[in-house]
Amino acid sequence: MTQRIVIDPVTRIEGHAKISIYLDDAGEVSDARFHVVEFRGFEKFCEGRPLGEMAGITARVCGICPVSHLLASAKTGDDIFAVSIPPAAEKLRRLMNLGQIVQSHALSFFHLSSPDLLLGYDSDPAQRNVFGLIARYPDLARGGIRLRQFGQEVIELLGGRKIHPAWAVPGGVREPLTPENRDYLRGRLPEALDTVKRALAFFKRYADEHSEEVAHFGNFPTLFMGLVSKDGGRWEHYDGWLRITDSDGNVLVDGFDPRHYAQILGEAVEPWSYLKSPYYKPLGYPDGAYRVGPLARLNICSGMGTPQADAELAEFRQRGNAHGVVTSSFMYHYARLVEILAALERIALLLDDPDLLSTRVRASGGINKLHGVGVSEAPRGTLFHDYEVDEHGMIRRVNLIIATGQNNIAMNRTVKQIAQHWIHGATAGIPEGLLNRVEAGIRAFDPCLSCSTHAIGHMPMIVTLVGSDGAVLAEVKRE
Amino acid sequence: MSKEVATDFLIIGYGNPLRHDDGAGPRVAEIVASWRLPNVRAISAHQLTPELTDALASAEVVIFVDARRTDPHAQPPADVTFTAIGAAEDRAGAADTHTSDPRRLLALTQRLYGRCPQAWLVSVPGVDFDFGESLSERARQGVEVALRRIRLLFTSR
Repeated sequence: MTQRIVIDPVTRIEGHAKISIYLDDAGEVSDARFHVVEFRGFEKFCEGRPLGEMAGITARVCGICPVSHLLASAKTGDDIFAVSIPPAAEKLRRLMNLGQIVQSHALSFFHLSSPDLLLGYDSDPAQRNVFGLIARYPDLARGGIRLRQFGQEVIELLGGRKIHPAWAVPGGVREPLTPENRDYLRGRLPEALDTVKRALAFFKRYADEHSEEVAHFGNFPTLFMGLVSKDGGRWEHYDGWLRITDSDGNVLVDGFDPRHYAQILGEAVEPWSYLKSPYYKPLGYPDGAYRVGPLARLNICSGMGTPQADAELAEFRQRGNAHGVVTSSFMYHYARLVEILAALERIALLLDDPDLLSTRVRASGGINKLHGVGVSEAPRGTLFHDYEVDEHGMIRRVNLIIATGQNNIAMNRTVKQIAQHWIHGATAGIPEGLLNRVEAGIRAFDPCLSCSTHAIGHMPMIVTLVGSDGAVLAEVKRE
Repeated sequence: MSKEVATDFLIIGYGNPLRHDDGAGPRVAEIVASWRLPNVRAISAHQLTPELTDALASAEVVIFVDARRTDPHAQPPADVTFTAIGAAEDRAGAADTHTSDPRRLLALTQRLYGRCPQAWLVSVPGVDFDFGESLSERARQGVEVALRRIRLLFTSR
């Protein structure tokens, strides 16, 4: 009899999803699926709205990474305006995106994943949260909270608010940075750097001691995709060329204008999830699976472009395969910390740039093209906004390709790999710690499933065993 | 603005301003901020997140302002409540990124910084939590009552 295990909802991720694990007659895992069960409909209800509203509307896709949508949407507007934005505006947008990377990665590592890493996958779920973390590691917990706060402050001091700032607009940004706020951010940098360095030291020790997790948390070959700088292929977060590499370090796509993404990326849909599954067209679906985000950005780049992050990148790659490519999705955590370090170093450099105080921050323009694409790197990976407008600037078509969707195939493979390694002969009961590993495999990707539709109250985990006839064989709830 | 400053009073109004009366707390915080009083800091927030512990640790008194769902036909009508609160004893399952409450935030502050401020919870009655940015008449009156009592608290200390 075929059995199915359901984890619903998956906890400590941004949004709502469930996991189904299918068991064969012998109780061994035959398949696993990561379902995204919420439907947002942004692409459809943006139709008919004015282009000028799009940055504000699409920023509402998410309360965790609104800046990413804000910037991708503003860049799409730049493309439709056919303008080159002032240098100061690009630097200011970059600064905000770096703040976004810091705050989002800090949230993922310290708030969402550290309880698993520091307290253990098998620890009491009632204590496996930020309070339990604080009880055992108060200094690291406090540092993590303040690190995220720093990233939020970068956003708030530029955009006027932490969440959904209506600051980046087609043609540039609304306001520059003030000298007072620049000096304030400078003062916060040393503590932020100290926190991420301590976290890096911790994680490297952890990875050395947990080779089983490294080996089985989504460790398989795929392609990797992201933006790299136009000069030298370095780590990039705002603009650049699209690069795709494989797990042997071969470069499949390079120097590619991301605005032409539709030539190389297809979008598949599955009946069991609202999440699209983009793939690399030349290899087809699902063989064209690729990963985006921190792990991919570190695998594809020639270097980080700042000294401390470059040193960390070299060490990171030593943990990869013979080609220096890191294929374990567990190492997303590590890559996230390296990216925080890189972001902080770049923030320090930007704060010394007098352009940030320039008042020439916005180019004026009109509807000069009826089709535009804006691409940037969100914390979770490459983000594409693609709009068609009429001659009055009213939206006629929208396509959004979100980072989490691009990791969809890999997340499904990860769930299956973890389940097959840790779950055997299950019938009426499976240890909670094993199920938590399955969830943690998803958390490694830090999926963002649009948290603006978040639940109120508890998010219990419900595990149900269902027979092929639909009968519930067993059910476990974690409040 | 979330810069670190020592304050006598901290107002944290929280809720979703896109859900009609759920925006009562942020509305109170925004109005208090507009008063520009010395040693008073007001924060408008969607949710109570761990980052707020910094601000709590540097305040003498914190006033949380939230909306609560009430029966629109109740007689007499529900009123604004002003309740002294302390840190939560029960820490189980607390404080993910989406769910926290003032008592748990106080407990988090106590654990992280070894202190937490005297705290009040102001609860504004609401009757409409559907999509929309305006406040119902009941919530609007509640906001006015809350503001009067908060101002009274400022002047009585």
